[in-house]
Amino acid sequence: MERLPRGRHGLPREFVAQNQRERLLAALAECLEEKGYERTTVASIGKRAGVSKSDFYKQFESKDACFVAAYDDAVERIRATVQEACAERKDWGGGVLDALDALLRMFEAEPAQAQLVLVEGLRAGRGVYDRYQVALQGFVPFLRDGAPAPTGGERPPEATDEAVVGGIASLLARRVLAGETKKMRELLADIAEFALTPYLGTAEARRIIAG
Amino acid sequence: MPSRAQARSGEKKGSVPVRPTLPREFIAVHKRRRIMDAIAELTAEQGYDATKIGDIVRRAGVARKTLYDNFEGKEEVFLAAFDTAVDEAIAQIEADCAEVDGGWEERIQTGLASFLRYVSENPALARMCMIESLSATPAATERYEAAMQRFVEMVKRTVPQDDQMPETTEESLVGGVAWIVYQQIRRDEAAKAEDLLPELSDFMLAPFHGAAEAAKKRTNA
Repeated sequence: MERLPRGRHGLPREFVAQNQRERLLAALAECLEEKGYERTTVASIGKRAGVSKSDFYKQFESKDACFVAAYDDAVERIRATVQEACAERKDWGGGVLDALDALLRMFEAEPAQAQLVLVEGLRAGRGVYDRYQVALQGFVPFLRDGAPAPTGGERPPEATDEAVVGGIASLLARRVLAGETKKMRELLADIAEFALTPYLGTAEARRIIAG
Repeated sequence: MPSRAQARSGEKKGSVPVRPTLPREFIAVHKRRRIMDAIAELTAEQGYDATKIGDIVRRAGVARKTLYDNFEGKEEVFLAAFDTAVDEAIAQIEADCAEVDGGWEERIQTGLASFLRYVSENPALARMCMIESLSATPAATERYEAAMQRFVEMVKRTVPQDDQMPETTEESLVGGVAWIVYQQIRRDEAAKAEDLLPELSDFMLAPFHGAAEAAKKRTNA
């Protein structure tokens, strides 16, 4: 994110504060990607963002608070992306496929955000790992709402919805850790089959994925 | 065969009674185990960072020197406890599955039941391995990933292989099961982990049912 011009620029104070805040959130994600949560310090976030330590503390009371804000911000953007993809769906299966595609595109375009949400959420330790749990639970309704039962079968148990979301998150996290964020879209057919099969059966899931 | 302690007390028959002693190796193994159990309990209660060597030796009831005779420090205790728990869980699963005469579905269910039983019988170790290890130290998170991979390979060896099946299915399944169990532990309900068996069995079998049918149709066609 671009820094604002130095010195007197006549920009409104709130605008400057908002811009600093966004730069700090982006800088935190980049620091995490580079060196992990433990070794990321308030000083290193500020340096990367071009924001002084005292301005950092005007925005956040600690590294943890900055992490939580960055986390919530990233999850909200993902949620909006998935919701948009689902809103346009004509059928449930097609919508899930489109949503997963949008998700993978977003992670590929913003690897630091992928690392923040998928990896650091569970690893940052006590105090912040509730964030990951709440975030994942927030995606369950996108899968559950309108989900059918496979032909001749019953609707899968409720744990399946959560396990599918958790399983996909875990697989993607493993790919981030392996340094393969840039190749995530290659996983679309795999994770779509994994997500659709419990509800539609394998044959129908593969038909939808093949388009 | 009489133990060394019995043999020794036999020698002393008729003389001043002595405290029965256990073989040194037995005591050493037992103390190691107590140290590892202590770190599991403590990290489950208060997290890895807050757990100090002093807490561990107090909880285990061993001398500080004993801990340092066996381990370099806190991280090594943690990693040893992690490895022991994963090895035990996998050994239990493999032993239970070895007794199954039926097909792959029964093996998956038996293995899953065995895993959930391990979690319910060892709630502190389960919490340490499945939750605290993720944020403890970089070496611990690496162990976590390696353990996940062992479970993935176990599932791969058990389920029917079909070239149309995505290669990542087992990874997603293991991740999904881990996630459900993670939440069960966070709710302080590890002791009731076995309640998850019916739902998690359905979840684990779903991808292969369809694939098995698809393969059958292809063979018949």
